[in-house]
Amino acid sequence: MSLCVNRLQEERKQWRKDHPFGFFAKPAKSPNGGLDLMKWSCGIPGKEKTIWEGGLFKLEMIFPEEYPTKPPKCKFVPPLFHPNVYPSGTVCLSILNEDEAWKPAITIKQILLGIQDLLDDPNPDSPAQVEAFNLFKKDRIGYEKRIRYIVRENPAP
Amino acid sequence: MGRDARPKKSLGASLHSRIKESRVLMVGAGGIGCELLKNLVLTGFGEIHLVDLDTIDLSNLNRQFLFGMQHIKKSKAIVARETAGKFNPNVKLEAHHANIKDPQFNVKWFKGFDLVFNALDNLDARKHVNRMCLAAYVPLIESGTTGYHGQVQVIKQGETECYDCNPKQVPKSFPVCTIRSTPSQPIHCIVWAKSYLFAEVFGTSEDSSTELDQGQNEENAQEIANLRREASELNSIREKMDSPDFAKCIFEKVFGRDIDRLLSMEDMWKSRKPPTPLDHAKVLEEASGIGPEVAREDQKTWCLAENYAVFADSVKRLSQRMLELKAKAKEGDAPPILSFDKDDEDTLDFVAAGANLRSHAFGIELKSKFDIKQMAGNIIPAIATTNAITAGLCVLQAFKVLRNDLQSGKMVFLAKNSDRAFNAEKLAPPNPECQVCGVARVSVEANIAVATLGDLIEKVVRTELGYGEDISVLTSQLLYDIDYDDNLDTPLKELGFEDETFVTIVDEEEGEGVVPRANLEIVVTHSEELADETITVPEKIEIPRKPKRSTAPEETTGEAIKHALEDNEDGGVAKKRKLNDGLTFIEDRPNKKRAVVPDADADLIVLEDDGAITID
Repeated sequence: MSLCVNRLQEERKQWRKDHPFGFFAKPAKSPNGGLDLMKWSCGIPGKEKTIWEGGLFKLEMIFPEEYPTKPPKCKFVPPLFHPNVYPSGTVCLSILNEDEAWKPAITIKQILLGIQDLLDDPNPDSPAQVEAFNLFKKDRIGYEKRIRYIVRENPAP
Repeated sequence: MGRDARPKKSLGASLHSRIKESRVLMVGAGGIGCELLKNLVLTGFGEIHLVDLDTIDLSNLNRQFLFGMQHIKKSKAIVARETAGKFNPNVKLEAHHANIKDPQFNVKWFKGFDLVFNALDNLDARKHVNRMCLAAYVPLIESGTTGYHGQVQVIKQGETECYDCNPKQVPKSFPVCTIRSTPSQPIHCIVWAKSYLFAEVFGTSEDSSTELDQGQNEENAQEIANLRREASELNSIREKMDSPDFAKCIFEKVFGRDIDRLLSMEDMWKSRKPPTPLDHAKVLEEASGIGPEVAREDQKTWCLAENYAVFADSVKRLSQRMLELKAKAKEGDAPPILSFDKDDEDTLDFVAAGANLRSHAFGIELKSKFDIKQMAGNIIPAIATTNAITAGLCVLQAFKVLRNDLQSGKMVFLAKNSDRAFNAEKLAPPNPECQVCGVARVSVEANIAVATLGDLIEKVVRTELGYGEDISVLTSQLLYDIDYDDNLDTPLKELGFEDETFVTIVDEEEGEGVVPRANLEIVVTHSEELADETITVPEKIEIPRKPKRSTAPEETTGEAIKHALEDNEDGGVAKKRKLNDGLTFIEDRPNKKRAVVPDADADLIVLEDDGAITID
């Protein structure tokens, strides 16, 4: 068993035992019936008392062979309207960059909590999509209105 | 004097006869492989099998001396056998032009060798052979070189470290933001041109593979569509591949509109130098009169107009190829794609010019095509002398293995920039935390078309081996755990099992005083002879318990992350190599080499009774 699969199996076990309320994270089912540990589908709830409260946003986490030396790629599916999310859905966040704050000890739970924090606290230094970024910078009321709308469209169950 | 006389005299009769009777495998017939095969043949190893999937390329010929011009495009393994076979007709040579990962090369096949040599150039195949040798209990001599550095390591299951006992360095990747939005070095633009632009235009687009989530209402759908449009704009330009304006379309999008879009995010450029969009009409005019032959001047740094000329011409060549592939493709085939290959001039020209155009827009230094080839192709210079020395070291270590003297086996490092050429270390014991060699092993036979996962778990794992309820069962996928029992009634074959499949059983039992078992690797071999769901376990084994330290990921806080990292270092996972028990050769007397012993406790080189110089 590779180091990567071993770690992901351990992550699954830890997640099964304990995970934050409202989140989900599970490996994708592969065509022949097993669970593909290299690809997880996750859900991140908007934080309470923020404009994101009440929403649940789906995210794919794709692990490279070199995980945990290298971080997984995290991608909102469908792409999310957010200043730090690329038009393709890929999340731009320092803990997900090998050169920046990624550490092999960071768990899936920590990543998901980190992205949840990012939702209501965008990083103005790493814009990833023009529309959300410019609305966020130039028309905060319009931005918040838009977010509330998106939350209604992606309700938590 | 007979062919055998000299080796026999220098190696001693008993070692020499063991060498003559030995059956060895050499994986890889490239840089180290050519040198090693020559050594093995001339030393008189009885039977040598060589496996290599590669064919001979012009760029190999400066160092892979078993090959000549007439062999280009032929199989390395087969040509190496032909050439080296003539060196010593007493040696039986067998060549396999195949991938070492093919199912024919199973554990049973590996068991047929006394010794395996790795002469590979990639991590993936090295890890595979390491694992097969561990499972077959065959000693492995692993070797590698980069530039002036070489390394040789002896690996044996249960006795030494294996290849995976220490994590391997992997090339750094770049943050997506740096590549897509804020490049600051030539390499950022090269990675962009190779991994993003080329892939989007001629390869597999990242964005075309994601599906749109249906069932949203209009405004939201429109917004997502906007994001999608931005992401897939290049993809729609792809549709215009047969148009003479194709290069212009790409250019205006990636060096014009995309740069404008980045500029519109003003905050991003407060502390950075903003890029300047390129004007297609202007560049086109400047480039008029520059012919495609400029692409051949690969040591020169092209100017903006020259880069444009190469860009436009390579787009033309690549589009032509794509259209030809499309015309040839049959109905129902996946749409054809091209992939970047540093030795494919068309793709290299596209990436070189594309990277330079982007660098120009961002005010980054331009590079020559030659430099870009090195960087985009991750080329590490290969040096014939390093390969030859390293291959020699492999054979010296092989002698120790054949003498059953693993204690004096060494991990040997060859370096240019240190005080000594050679640094040697004692072989380290296995890392008890290693997930590859630190497992218990058992082999079973089953008819995989009949026996189910449930049969394997109940009959073998629980009944025969005594495991409890809480286990996880994995191949490259997770097949079963206490929360996932969908597959219990599925025959193994439908779960992806082949003639030989490695299954890992992880004991998840927890609680006060419970020490879970070490991970167990079951090799399941398919047997047609078993008519029913019976699974045969030939050996009865005792599975050891896990070593005390846990590999569980740490908990949430930053402090915990810090601790986890420190733990790793303490635990020796990120162990650094000591280089202070090595040796140096000094030529101080004619015909005698002597070791300078830097440390009192290191005895390093001996002239053995039979006259052979070995590093000890």
